[in-house]
Amino acid sequence: MINALHPALIFIAGALLIPLLKGKAKSAYMLLLPALSFMNLLQIPAGQHWVIGFLDYNLTLCRIDRLSMVFGYIFHIISFISILYALNVKDDGQHVAAVLYSGAALGVVYAGDLFTLFIFWEIMAVTATYLIWARRTRASSSAGMRYLLVHLFGGLCLLIGILLQLHNTGSLEFSHIGLNGLASALIFIGFGINCAWPGFHSWLTDAYPEATITGTIFLSAFTTKCAVYALARGYAGTDLLIWIGAAMAAFPIFYAVIENDLRRVLSYSLINQVGFMVVGIGIGTELGINGAVAHAFADILFKGLLFMAMGAVMHQTGKINCTDLGGLYKSMPFTALFCIIGAASISAFPLFSAFATKSMVMDATAKDHLTGVWFILLFASAGVFHHAGIKIPFFAFFSHDSGIRTKEAPLNMLLAMGIAAFLCIFIGSFPGYLYSILPYPVDYQPYTAPHVMAQLQLLFFSALAFTLLMLSGIYPAEIRAINVDADWTYRKGAKAFMWMLTNPMTKLGAWISRTVFELIPSSLGWASKNPVAVIKIAADSLLLKFAVPEKRDEIKMRIQREKEIYPGDIIRHWPIGSVVLLAILFFLAYLLVNYMTGAKH
Amino acid sequence: MKDNYSNKHEELMELGHDPVPGYRPVFYVIMTIASLYLALILIKTL
Repeated sequence: MINALHPALIFIAGALLIPLLKGKAKSAYMLLLPALSFMNLLQIPAGQHWVIGFLDYNLTLCRIDRLSMVFGYIFHIISFISILYALNVKDDGQHVAAVLYSGAALGVVYAGDLFTLFIFWEIMAVTATYLIWARRTRASSSAGMRYLLVHLFGGLCLLIGILLQLHNTGSLEFSHIGLNGLASALIFIGFGINCAWPGFHSWLTDAYPEATITGTIFLSAFTTKCAVYALARGYAGTDLLIWIGAAMAAFPIFYAVIENDLRRVLSYSLINQVGFMVVGIGIGTELGINGAVAHAFADILFKGLLFMAMGAVMHQTGKINCTDLGGLYKSMPFTALFCIIGAASISAFPLFSAFATKSMVMDATAKDHLTGVWFILLFASAGVFHHAGIKIPFFAFFSHDSGIRTKEAPLNMLLAMGIAAFLCIFIGSFPGYLYSILPYPVDYQPYTAPHVMAQLQLLFFSALAFTLLMLSGIYPAEIRAINVDADWTYRKGAKAFMWMLTNPMTKLGAWISRTVFELIPSSLGWASKNPVAVIKIAADSLLLKFAVPEKRDEIKMRIQREKEIYPGDIIRHWPIGSVVLLAILFFLAYLLVNYMTGAKH
Repeated sequence: MKDNYSNKHEELMELGHDPVPGYRPVFYVIMTIASLYLALILIKTL
């Protein structure tokens, strides 16, 4: 028996009390939640806890090991920072949803079985949707609905996969699964949708920029990282992930460069960074997994910091597009400084966090002789410096003077950004502390002369490329527009589908309806008045086609007369001799059938 | 938290980047040299 609560419980139960408090007590209470939860977490020893019976199965609500603990630590840290950042939000619904969302994320990383994971997974989807809807704009409403639909589909894949897995193995335990059949493939896809794999990614770039300012900070930290955790737990060493991750790292760069909305640029950048983690998991070596987990830890901080900086700009100016911003460094110097620290961290400058984490994945790739993937990641490293390292601070705080004059961000926002910035530098300068909590023992030294020199060369040449592109006028213009990628399927494809439904398909439907429900029944009704006359008219009409010219007039007159008197007297067309003949024929047919069936027996 | 939309200023439909005379040839020359250099390194490495 342990004297502690489940790691997610303090967040989930605590969230429900938030609306009951007011003012500073509420702020203190909300800040206390992650602190208390963290202290509670430290009381739980390694192993499986809270194993309960459910139907004929055992559910393990909490499994503590080194992999889950890294994610647990960083989730607590980012929860504290995000709550601090959001203290001036007056909407209790947002606070409750955000804290529940954080608690659900903890529930996912500590779940020891697939069913518990699924429950927390779905709580995350619902609470995240609220954080998008809470902005209460038309765009956020639509984006939130699309987010919910995509995640419900992902959840459905996950649930079916779990049920099949249970059927196949008889166990709900969440450990290494590997790709080995339909069940594992469905679970893989369920995780992949939350991980924003290429083709499944557009929910992220669609919804995150439309969420509330503070909601985006929470969103950027949890959903994709829980998926990274789940993949690291269930699919480490799956080769397919190497190529999926490489594609994730590379393709968003092109969209991020042309994107006007700076929070959408960061969303693309988020996919790019998760790509590095997925590659590390796909490699599956101790260095690869350590690199993926360490980079997830660092990414949560620097991506959160960048989203916080852009959120502060949005909060103070109401603008987030490159076309509207620029020259804010004088108005918001601290925010600009924190943004630059986040940019340096994501770009992997020496002494900043990603330098010590991203390079582990690169090194794991090189050690596995994955030359092609290594080059893709190198390109992605240059690209991320281009769009997140330079573009974000440059277009928000420097570039052209937009004429906007505003105040610095509120103190709580600055404090939150300051803590995140400090941690980014701390991890980059003293990576040993982070390495000591990684799942496997670390035998890696980031600060070697070749690594530092190679990274500086990459960064400075990328900076040179950006400068020359700008000065030569080749850098693409930022345009107030929506850049469509995989969301083509529902932005354009769905539109085309709806057009097809409302135009040709509607006409086809109307024709079928008219033919089946009007024309055929009315014709049958007309013909049923005197079927013999109808047959006779039809026979005469057929005869007319083949008749010799001198007989045609006679046949035509006969048809006309038959139509005029139709339906006429049915008896007149049905002589008694014919009826007798028909009855005899039916009788003979009956005898024949009866004889044949009797003969068989 | 409410978005503050009180800043009134001209909103651009497009933020273009006008070329500074003389830099386009510099860009092409450097890109050519860099590409050749990288290609040489790659060929020697692989």
